[in-house]
Amino acid sequence: MGIAGYTGILIMVAVAAAFGGVVVLLSRLIGKRQESREKLMPYECGIDPTGNARRRFSIKFYITAMLFIIFDIEAVFLYPWAVVYRSLKIFGFIEMVVFVGILLIGFLYVWKKGALEWGSKSI
Amino acid sequence: MVDTTQYLVLGAILFCLGVAGVFIRRNAIVIFMCIELMLNAVNLTFIAISRSLGSIDGQVFVFFIMTVAAAEAAVGLAIILSLYRRRQTINVDEVNLLKW
Amino acid sequence: MEQVLFWICGVVSIVFAVMMILKRNPVHSALCLIVVFLCLAVSYLLLGAEFLAAVQVIVYAGAIMVLFLFVIMLLNLDDEVHSPGKPRMALIAGSSIGSGLILLFLLTGGVFKALSGTRGAEKVVAGNTQAVAELLFTKYLLPFEVTSILLLAAIIGAIVLAGKKG
Repeated sequence: MGIAGYTGILIMVAVAAAFGGVVVLLSRLIGKRQESREKLMPYECGIDPTGNARRRFSIKFYITAMLFIIFDIEAVFLYPWAVVYRSLKIFGFIEMVVFVGILLIGFLYVWKKGALEWGSKSI
Repeated sequence: MVDTTQYLVLGAILFCLGVAGVFIRRNAIVIFMCIELMLNAVNLTFIAISRSLGSIDGQVFVFFIMTVAAAEAAVGLAIILSLYRRRQTINVDEVNLLKW
Repeated sequence: MEQVLFWICGVVSIVFAVMMILKRNPVHSALCLIVVFLCLAVSYLLLGAEFLAAVQVIVYAGAIMVLFLFVIMLLNLDDEVHSPGKPRMALIAGSSIGSGLILLFLLTGGVFKALSGTRGAEKVVAGNTQAVAELLFTKYLLPFEVTSILLLAAIIGAIVLAGKKG
């Protein structure tokens, strides 16, 4: 019960955090810093960067991320369902079919709107 | 075993920080984050009380709250996006057409 | 052990929540919020809600924060400019309302403690996935199915709102 079974994860988190912190700290302490214009520039495959790095991205990234959230939630609902699937029998199957079926309508809508196509201009 | 009251106090403090954030900040996205923080504080309260009552129903509630929060995030951020397209701002003080 | 973890998580989450509402840059606010979410996930573990801790990390710290960061990048925000109104007033009002609510909740917490004292010792709940799932798919079957309609509405709403040009 409780946190006792997670001691390993806790140790791993602590070690990972400590390692990251120590490495950054050491490189800051030991390393020699020479700041020049080239060094502080954003790295862009060796060529000179063009424009500001923080310009607006395409809205398609946002739409993809948003659809990801919704279907992420759907996947999260599938986990507990899979755990009790055997005890629920056919009833559980039907209720999940209804759930996924309703979300499928949304998926088809998104598909029809062309929100999943990267090249098209429909959205 | 940590006392349930301690969790309730932590939840209350986080909720109040969320409320204060909504009042202080004028950036719509940060206000949104404060709302998420408040929802999370409520989730913590739900789970703490669910443990103290010995019933698991509270955890199912929290699951539904998380679902609603995700749906809310998707729609709310879409609203902010279309707001920015129209007004070129997401400062909530400048979105005052409905204010009289 | 549990006490130590609780105090670490509690203090870190409060500190980062304060930083979240005070940072000028929304990207920093979002990063602070991730830390708060992760601390809360550890608190859920301490409370025995393992499934919800996992969902918290998957849904909040993963998905929702990705969305937040995307929108922030998309809008290309510079640091927040203070509105010409009365920022001082807002700050004072916000912090006084916040601290007032904290006091109120502390009082309520005291009442709850007094009430729960009469109820006897806390029962231990096996907060595993199976227990949650059995409730979710039997007692809360209708809310579960309605949730799918909510998600459907969210999909359509977001596409309609974000997709329309002009």
